[in-house]
Amino acid sequence: MSGHVAPKKKVSDMKRLWGMAIDLDKCTGCGACQVACSQENNMPIFDDDSDLPKRVVFLDLMKVTNDNDRDAKFGDVKVAYLPKMCMQCAGNDPDDPQPPCVSVCPVVATDVGDDGVVSQIWSRCIGCRYCQASCPYEARVFNWWKPRYEGSFKEGLNPDVSIASRGTVVKCTFCSHIWKRERDRLIAKGVTDINAVQYTPACVAACPTGAMVFGDLKDPQSPVYEEKLKRDPRAVRLVHSIDALRDTNPAEYERRTKIKNYPNPKVWYLTSDQWLREKLSGFKKS
Amino acid sequence: MEKLERREVILMAGGAVAGAAVGTVFSGAPFLGLQWLVEWTQDQHVPAPGEESYLQGKCLLCPSACPISVRMIGNRAVKVETANNGCYRPQLAIQMLYHPERLKSPLKRAGKKGSGKFAPVSWEEAIKDIAAKIDELRSGGKAAEIAAINGAGAFASAEVLKRLVKSAGSPNVYSEPCYSSLSAAASGLTQGQSASIYYDFENADFILSFGARLVEGWGGDPGRMNRAFVDWKRRGARYVQIDTVCTRSASVADRWVPLNAGTETVLALGIANQLIAMGRRSAGANFAQWSQIVINDYTPERVAEITGVGVDAIKEIAAEFARARNPIAVAGRGASAVSSSSVEFAAIQALNSMVGSLGRRGGVMLADYSGLGDVALNAQAAKGLDDFIKNGSAGLLFINDANPVHRSVYGKTLADKMKKDGMVVALMPLLNDSAAYADYVLPTISSIEGEPIEARFKSMHPVDALLSIAGAVKGLENALPWKSFKDVYPLIGRLNLRGAGNFAFPVGLLKDYLAGFAKKIGDKKYPLALVPVEAPMVGDGDGMALPYVLKGLDGLTLTGSKLWVMMNPDTAKQEGVSEGSRIDIESSRGEIGSVKVHITKTVAPGAVAIPLGFGHEFYTKYAGDKGVNAKEIMSDDIDPISGAADWWFTRVKIS
Repeated sequence: MSGHVAPKKKVSDMKRLWGMAIDLDKCTGCGACQVACSQENNMPIFDDDSDLPKRVVFLDLMKVTNDNDRDAKFGDVKVAYLPKMCMQCAGNDPDDPQPPCVSVCPVVATDVGDDGVVSQIWSRCIGCRYCQASCPYEARVFNWWKPRYEGSFKEGLNPDVSIASRGTVVKCTFCSHIWKRERDRLIAKGVTDINAVQYTPACVAACPTGAMVFGDLKDPQSPVYEEKLKRDPRAVRLVHSIDALRDTNPAEYERRTKIKNYPNPKVWYLTSDQWLREKLSGFKKS
Repeated sequence: MEKLERREVILMAGGAVAGAAVGTVFSGAPFLGLQWLVEWTQDQHVPAPGEESYLQGKCLLCPSACPISVRMIGNRAVKVETANNGCYRPQLAIQMLYHPERLKSPLKRAGKKGSGKFAPVSWEEAIKDIAAKIDELRSGGKAAEIAAINGAGAFASAEVLKRLVKSAGSPNVYSEPCYSSLSAAASGLTQGQSASIYYDFENADFILSFGARLVEGWGGDPGRMNRAFVDWKRRGARYVQIDTVCTRSASVADRWVPLNAGTETVLALGIANQLIAMGRRSAGANFAQWSQIVINDYTPERVAEITGVGVDAIKEIAAEFARARNPIAVAGRGASAVSSSSVEFAAIQALNSMVGSLGRRGGVMLADYSGLGDVALNAQAAKGLDDFIKNGSAGLLFINDANPVHRSVYGKTLADKMKKDGMVVALMPLLNDSAAYADYVLPTISSIEGEPIEARFKSMHPVDALLSIAGAVKGLENALPWKSFKDVYPLIGRLNLRGAGNFAFPVGLLKDYLAGFAKKIGDKKYPLALVPVEAPMVGDGDGMALPYVLKGLDGLTLTGSKLWVMMNPDTAKQEGVSEGSRIDIESSRGEIGSVKVHITKTVAPGAVAIPLGFGHEFYTKYAGDKGVNAKEIMSDDIDPISGAADWWFTRVKIS
């Protein structure tokens, strides 16, 4: 008898691993993704949504610039907009995903599925905010106030996304309710193979320049095929400097991933701007 | 000290307890506590279920008319699907559709003008009254006192209102200045045809933009610009952006050419100088005189000194422009809001003329959209909206889907005139700063109502409202024979492209402009330049009524009610301000403030960049008490050709 039982690997028919890639070279910062997300996911409407500390959004349109670099000069600087949502972390091993938020949740309100989507069940959340503290991307929001929808704004609410209570943590779920909707549609047509279903989250569907793409990270035909993204010199992941070691020093990469759980997010950003890659990844090439 | 009896102590303690109990009850705390308890223990609002369906339609916000699909749950619209085409605006349609402050019926003024107090009336009464006013003015020989202001985004209703007012006998129909109206005025000057300048972005291979923020809502058709932008990336067209502020357009461009505020025209003359040096000529009239000015006064060295663009950069841009197969130089500074002088349009169009881009594929053409036909009138209208506000008056003024009180630099003048002058009729879905001065406000539908969604409340398509008014006026029955907006749409909005015609260089106007410009930049009393920027989705101010737009504002655009302006570190040091300082900004027209300062190298030295669209006085509670309206102090020099104020570049000082 051994005291330790290795966790049994889940057996799953799921072949999909959902991921996203955002080409910032094509992003004009128009804000369509943010509004589409807010509309689809029933974002609360307060008296003043310009009030940052009170704001609840799943997708944050961040303005970034390199203007505070010491040797930046007027004329050399740039600005970019960064659509930032839940990065759907996998942890070091995508086959045994350990996102930072899931392991700390005392009530299993957040979990990770075999499709790679980190779920969040508002009604199960007790509001301890451990997950919010553990999230490396500040992608989780706490409902300090009861979500409100003044008067007829309630008419535009989506029945597929439940309204959260006050005192719960909410976040982006890659619009997994749309996936469920698409699955139901196919089942109604008699197709029961879950891997036959494709879907597009609201932000990606709304992007007017096609800067955001979504698909299966494991599928070579998909626009977000992970093996291809890993080799793309424009690709970078948010605050994930360990990626730079993967090719340059595989031994060190192995050593580090053994002693520390990295987020390993499923959202990739693509940009040809060196400064932006450095800013996003947190890794500066010297 | 007197000794307290046991009985007294008990009484005092009892009194304190009773007082606290009464105080607690009257403080409202138990009721608030009970309310919280109810909220915490009961379920949250559950959206009403219903059968899912999708309605197909077209987004009618701009001529692109992108296809949209509206997701319905029962009879509720919950989402607009756009499938990667167009722009962000269809996504806001649901917010507009279900806005709680949507006008529910026609309103008649109940208080003093400008007080914003209204009482509901029936459509019949409103239409009867407005038609009677038109009758009164026409029969009294004062038909020319009927005037109309159309919003830059109004299409069908703008055409119908134009037809209505002109048929009634008045030439006073104005559009809020926008890219197409300003460029049409300029091409009237240089090409003798009043049609807007059409750049063939789809086929050009070198796009030189003089402050036109092409991917930020520019030109009134953001969908077309988004598609063109993606196409440039795909086929390798080169996009060069000239701008005083590092906007997103400047960042996505292949090259950003930073320059001093307001010097775009001078840079265009500098590039022309280099083109002439390369042997490029224009066949346009007065080219000889124009080139004399350019050769003698606008050498690269002098232009570099004024604009801050290096001599080498000027030469490089000119060489690239001359070398390209299909180069276009784009005029019309701004994004949603555009402001450029006619001379600036001419100076930039001159570059197109010198490289042979005028009137050819991949170059620059003239465009107009099919309308409802013009009505010939003898009376003379003002040159443009700001000219009309400043010098004109109206016995009956229609404001259609426009907000000139907020958007025009003459907004205050217009508000004062509306307080005194005759009847004002506003057509819009939400009460805005201009409608507050109206006698009648007619509720119109949002962009997805009418088709495919049913109109809410008693709101009407603006075309239908105007047709009803025309139908009630004696003698106008035949001028507008259509039954509904569905009859009007097929007639309008078809793009007609034509060649560019013969180009004529406006030498006299250029000289006047340059003299004025020299005076302006030499102003020692106001050492800084105020230039506009736009926040995502806020644009020129329309977005501020929508909460999901406010969710996109960052903490360096607005915090609380305070607006942030941007300044270069060198300028900040010189002016003695630091990050987060509160300042007032003063021009010769007045003062606004206070605003907070964000110090950033994305703005040219000597400039203060201020976001447009804030500081509404009357535009739903969501837009209320947010920042200041920069237009109040922006430059009010009226362009002699377009009749619109050239407000882009204003000399200011800060305190």
